Amino acid sequence: MADYEDFVRAHLPRLLRYATMLTGEREQAADLVQDVLVKVYRRWSRVSDAEHPDRYVLRMVTNDYLSWRRSRSARLIAVADPPDQARPDDFASDHAARDDMWQRLARLPRRQRAVVVLRYYEQLADADIAGLLGCAQATVRAHARRALTTLRHGLSIDQMIQVKES
Amino acid sequence: MDIENLIKDTFTDHEHHAPDSDQVLAATRQRLERRRARVSPPLAAGAGVVLLALAVGAVVELNRPAHDNQVATGTSQAGGPAVVEAPAKAATELTMPYSLGWLPPGKADYLARRINIGGSAANPDKPVYGGEYMLTVTSGSQVLLVDVQEMRSMPIQQAAFKSGPGQPVTIGGRAGVESAHSGGPGGYELYLTHPDGGSLYVNVAAQPGSTASAQQLIDAGRRVAENVAFPGTTTVTPAFGLGKLPDGLRMCAFDVEMGGPSAPRTSYSLGTCSTLPPVQVQSEESSQVRGTAGQPVQGHETRYLDENGYRTLWILKAVHDAPIAVAGRSAQSELYAIADHLVLPH
Repeated sequence: MADYEDFVRAHLPRLLRYATMLTGEREQAADLVQDVLVKVYRRWSRVSDAEHPDRYVLRMVTNDYLSWRRSRSARLIAVADPPDQARPDDFASDHAARDDMWQRLARLPRRQRAVVVLRYYEQLADADIAGLLGCAQATVRAHARRALTTLRHGLSIDQMIQVKES
Repeated sequence: MDIENLIKDTFTDHEHHAPDSDQVLAATRQRLERRRARVSPPLAAGAGVVLLALAVGAVVELNRPAHDNQVATGTSQAGGPAVVEAPAKAATELTMPYSLGWLPPGKADYLARRINIGGSAANPDKPVYGGEYMLTVTSGSQVLLVDVQEMRSMPIQQAAFKSGPGQPVTIGGRAGVESAHSGGPGGYELYLTHPDGGSLYVNVAAQPGSTASAQQLIDAGRRVAENVAFPGTTTVTPAFGLGKLPDGLRMCAFDVEMGGPSAPRTSYSLGTCSTLPPVQVQSEESSQVRGTAGQPVQGHETRYLDENGYRTLWILKAVHDAPIAVAGRSAQSELYAIADHLVLPH
């Protein structure tokens, strides 16, 4: 299984970053990826025979996130509700804006969040996201549109201007 | 910068939150080592380590009530089912939320787990318990991998397939979506409407190195799905049980594995079940034991280890010759309180 080890070593950092963006939480991300790697080991022949093993494993991480683990991570993250109307002072720095956005991302329904992560973090085209999620491109676009609407909600006009100007 | 760039920057800004690769790799290796030691790997299924056998056409009933001191068989036909030695002292049996009424013929190793998945979409504050069976069914040179999992938060409309978009199907009067390319690497996949909301996922695939036609996988997967029964009457017998738990803790998840050369592997996750369970209780390999001598638990020697606040209490020779680890970021006294009440085999 040396090739399994090589594969894991090569792709683990990316998988962990991806899982962190999905779950929003370090321990959940580690747990999620560990579970997937154990499954990958069990089915390594199948995974390695896939046309794109890395994409295959990315899909496994996504599917696991979309099933039971997603709910728990969402509950963990959503402890603090982001304010509906944050004060402009909170956005005096880019850092504050990104922290606020992180909170908003944590509140997205999991499938919307997965689409947002795949599109804006993994930089995948909608067609690739659709293939990975096993849905139509129109569904991907709908999830993205709803997510962006939700993420914009609560940003005041001043904040939006500040975001646009920074 | 528009909101899309803000999102990208937000992700980039949080990349450093990602866990350490080396630590995750080490933890994964540990889990794999335990698995290698205890579970018959699918490719080694012929090595005589299969503990659970299912007769041809058998009705699967994992861990039937232990009055016959056997675990899990079903109606015997050709060859008769193999017998599993039950633990010397049966702990409280654990009930699965649904039962499998049919499996492909052959011998089966299994992992059965029941997990708390948090809230459902309709009622996010009420914990929902889901069940999963992962089985390796061996018949001659053919090895089929069968996964059946509740996905209570995922309606069939959100089904995601390994082999591309699915196609609608009706099985047992229930609507579902199944994979359109079952001959691919993902095998046959099905999301069937769950009677209590969400979906039931069924995956049947041939173990690499084994052969099965797409039609065989489809037929097996559909039949597995058709015979799933809600609510479950299936119970699994853990290697050890939980007793009285400290206030505020309850069982959030369990895993019971059958199919290895040694004692069945059992683990529990304890906590409030609304956040990540903070305490893990699981049977382990003796080689994993570390730490210094602690207070005896139920007549067993112990070892105790505190790693920057993550504490592990090892109860030596708790399940036959294997230790049990009680671990988490909890107070030492809480770990001992859990350990003192475990139901251990005599």
